[in-house]
Amino acid sequence: MRICKNEMRMGALSLAVSSALAVMFAAPMSVYAEESWEDEVATIRHPTNYIELGAESVSKDSAKFGEYNGLNEKGGKAIVNFSVRGGDAYEGGDGITRWSLAGKDLGTTSRELGVALGKQGRWNLKVGYDELRHNITDTYQTPLQGIMGGNVFTLPPSFEAFNAQSATSARVLTANQLGAFHTEDVGTTRKNTSMAAGINLSPELSLKFDYNHLAQSGAKLIAGAARGGEAVPGTATTWRAEAVAMLMNPTNYKTDTFNLSLNWVGESGHLTGGYFGSLFKDGYDRLSYENPMMTAAATPVPGVFQTTTLGTAPDNQLHQLNLSGGYAFSPATKLAGGISYGRNTQNTAFLAGMPETVLAPQASLDGLVVTKHADAKLTNRTTQALTLSATLKYNERDNRSSSNVYQYYAINNVTAVDSSANAPYSNKKSELELAGDYRLGKSQTVRLAYDLEKITRQCGDYALASNCLVDTDNTENKLGVKYRVKASGDLGLNVGYSIAKRKGGYDNNAITPLGGLDANSLTRVNSQDYVGFVAVPYAARTQNVLKAGADWQASEKLNFSAEGRYANTKYDSTYGVKDGKTWGVNLDATYNYSEDGSVSTYLSQNRREQSMTIKQNNAAIVASATAIGVPANSSWTNDLKEDGVSLGLNAKQGGLMAGKLELGGDLTYSLDKTGYETQQNYAGATTGGLTCSSPNILSCGVLPDIKSRLITFKLTGIYALDQASKVSVGYMFQQLKSDDYAYNAFQYGFTSSRLMPTNQTSGSYAVNVIGASYIYSFK
Amino acid sequence: MKQARQMLLSACVGMLLVSGAAFGADEPAIAGDTTVAPAKAPAKDLILKGDAKCTGCHDEADEPIGRATMLELNPGVLAIATTRHGVKGDERTPTCTDCHGESKDHINFKGKGKEKPPAPDRSFRKITATPAAERNAACLTCHKGDKRTHWEGSQHAANDVACNSCHKVHAEHDPVRNKKTQAEVCFTCHKNERADTHKISTHPLAAGKMGCSDCHNAHGSAGPKLLKKNTLNETCFTCHAEKRGPFLWEHQPVTEDCSSCHTPHGSNITPLLKSRAPFMCSECHDGPHNSDVPYGTVAAGIQGGYANPNMNPTENATGRGCMNCHSMVHGSNHPAGALLHR
Repeated sequence: MRICKNEMRMGALSLAVSSALAVMFAAPMSVYAEESWEDEVATIRHPTNYIELGAESVSKDSAKFGEYNGLNEKGGKAIVNFSVRGGDAYEGGDGITRWSLAGKDLGTTSRELGVALGKQGRWNLKVGYDELRHNITDTYQTPLQGIMGGNVFTLPPSFEAFNAQSATSARVLTANQLGAFHTEDVGTTRKNTSMAAGINLSPELSLKFDYNHLAQSGAKLIAGAARGGEAVPGTATTWRAEAVAMLMNPTNYKTDTFNLSLNWVGESGHLTGGYFGSLFKDGYDRLSYENPMMTAAATPVPGVFQTTTLGTAPDNQLHQLNLSGGYAFSPATKLAGGISYGRNTQNTAFLAGMPETVLAPQASLDGLVVTKHADAKLTNRTTQALTLSATLKYNERDNRSSSNVYQYYAINNVTAVDSSANAPYSNKKSELELAGDYRLGKSQTVRLAYDLEKITRQCGDYALASNCLVDTDNTENKLGVKYRVKASGDLGLNVGYSIAKRKGGYDNNAITPLGGLDANSLTRVNSQDYVGFVAVPYAARTQNVLKAGADWQASEKLNFSAEGRYANTKYDSTYGVKDGKTWGVNLDATYNYSEDGSVSTYLSQNRREQSMTIKQNNAAIVASATAIGVPANSSWTNDLKEDGVSLGLNAKQGGLMAGKLELGGDLTYSLDKTGYETQQNYAGATTGGLTCSSPNILSCGVLPDIKSRLITFKLTGIYALDQASKVSVGYMFQQLKSDDYAYNAFQYGFTSSRLMPTNQTSGSYAVNVIGASYIYSFK
Repeated sequence: MKQARQMLLSACVGMLLVSGAAFGADEPAIAGDTTVAPAKAPAKDLILKGDAKCTGCHDEADEPIGRATMLELNPGVLAIATTRHGVKGDERTPTCTDCHGESKDHINFKGKGKEKPPAPDRSFRKITATPAAERNAACLTCHKGDKRTHWEGSQHAANDVACNSCHKVHAEHDPVRNKKTQAEVCFTCHKNERADTHKISTHPLAAGKMGCSDCHNAHGSAGPKLLKKNTLNETCFTCHAEKRGPFLWEHQPVTEDCSSCHTPHGSNITPLLKSRAPFMCSECHDGPHNSDVPYGTVAAGIQGGYANPNMNPTENATGRGCMNCHSMVHGSNHPAGALLHR
């Protein structure tokens, strides 16, 4: 056996190195010692101000990369950030004045600027500006003419009707049509201007006010569908149905938001009364466009129009009064709660003279929704070991808008006039939450919680003599237990389990707006849902959730944590979503190996599964499917699987080069996949040997995964030139690989039968950004 | 090798000489010389009223340089001067002991050398014997009411989250109060949400244009999931007021719960959708379209792998799926928009 024995030896070399390092590090300290402690304290007392100026360069245009960060265009951007603070409050005397001026990202469209002034404990005033450009796509193409952000789009005069009817192979755009397509950068810009003020009227009483003006411009993409009026080649009939075009829906919005509150704080109680107002205005009342799938020369039939009009978001207002407060009956027993009353109105004039509207009984909705809220929570620390709480909550949405029957032309192939009654949906939700936390000694805690939630839904004023919705009410009981233990001073463990059972009430006689005015057949409800099908948010279900976690603080420097979650949900519905499962694991480790350095890493993995069963509508199956013997009451299934994994590694090291250099690195990787599989479930059916891939109605099988992989790598280095000046250098590489079959439909060369292509892509990119800046700091 | 060692030795000697020349001229014999009587810190307050009892004692006990050693040992502690808690002129400003307790055992400690004093009565360190509720009580003495009305019994309170779990009270810049750095603080515990923000569809958290606190009140609320408003929808409508309505033609789940379709922290399906149409819509609507034809591979279109030229994907399933036609899913105010087409 060989024993290795290392001894500390101080040779001439090591002595010299040690001495040199000691002097190098001691030298600045000795200079520091020159200052008086008063100077040092004054230095510490004053805030650190800074101005950062520099430039950064983006390697490629990418709307997706620059979705929110303002770096969507290739080329240079200025780096401008600053923060300056001052006032006699920082002098250490009796002064209480503070002011600040700060700007962030001023060189991009994500810029932000703020000014604040106040006398602490007396009053304060803030003014801010915040801009955000949301870049949605830079690959969208359209033949429609009109500016992004506008609301009228027309076709070039020579644009002939898009051939949406003939066989797939002939379903191509002509050279003339292709020539009309042009690319638009689509996005919205939000500009927030805000003001906030507060004044302390007395030690107990304060008044706060804030105001925000949000001005939004630009557009988002939306689909517009209309009757395609093109004559079917070789026949005397007119093409039947929906013609879809992707449009730039303008977001010419302005939202003004107000908050005013009066706060009282006493020895044992506190109370806040306030007003919240939100006023929304839309600069446009419509979006109109020429339907690329018909021409003015097409045979006019009822409900077919070359110019199609979509409504835009109507102006609306919300005014809400709020009162909340708390009272401590004793240090152990406290009550907190609040009430709110709101009026949400909307009375924008309906679009008049629209050919698709046959009958509009009112000129506007004159809509009113009254919202009510109340909550009360009583907490009691019965003993040092036991804490109990009981909470009651009530929320109501009372839609008092009138209900009438409207007549209109739908966009399907029915030339007859359709009728529906609008349904002003209301609901009332009550919740009871009871919880008890019991400490077993110093290290263990058990929490037992019970929640009861009941919601009822109805229409206060419905034009038809029936319910306006099928899913009338739900009641859910939930019981949960959680155990936590501090296994040692450094190790904490927890495990929790909950079970929730939800019941539902349903009215299959309800006549909903989707179903027109016809009474249900009692085999089909809510516009042809089969009886037995229940929408997933309202379906009766049993949900079991198990959670566990561990946190180990191995030392002041080293921490590990792990947590997992599993949930299983079973729905009672005959059709619809039948069951769902989720599980997830998170692992983290952080090592702060010195005051200047740390490394951390994490891994998150999640999976979600869900399966649906849908009853087959045999009557609607085309003859070819009927011919292969699809039996009555068959069904089909669809399974969802979603996987996500996310990895991160972060490292920081300061104190390099005699404390002048700080380095940071960050690497993240995430991969998300969503997949759907559809299977036919023809019990005992004879399918004649046809499979999912057969050219028939058997539209089943596995869809390509919707997959996105994002890699981000960042490096930063900050070098201190002297006590006041630093140079910062940063590099970022980000790559998104996105595969999404949804974009197939938008490509040239092939579209679905009635969908105008846009050539839009899912936004994959690989972008490098490099930047350098000079940071000047001062006190 | 020997030559290299000699060169290194010479370099070190050179560094020593240069350093001496650089600093020696102005430098009294303090640096590294612990035998020289130090300039003792006067026992007077540095930042806060009465803080001398904390900032002025260590110099005699255990530190060689012998100054007001709080400055050297942990100057970050004194950065509280740059915060609202450091404004002496505000009569509400606490002293050290208001938060940390009188800490008599700590103050009267007479240990020598490397012996460490007992912790203050209330310690806010990462590893501490002070229970979260006790730490929080120190803060809630002043910070009560208004946005903290619902703290007692809230999810964070029940899970022993302390104010200092999120806040750095002594720091000049508290990361949780800065939009650009706030999410990282929350992600310390909320790790699924951290993973969600790396997905293809997100709110602008990573860009620092939004903070968790834009939607949540971590100090407790009357709403679900610590949301700032009384309901989920009210919270969403704060920024998305165009979807508030009331519309002539409402989509019932929109009036009740935005999360029926959307997942707020991140999704693989743009825009923040829980699933892809038409399957997402099929979760609530069996007919009239969906039960007619199951949407399988045809939904992917010919370019998605279904190579039969006679089978074209229907517009019900491709692209935006149901929302190709029912584009007004949040509600329509068009008199002819009953089916949310217009």
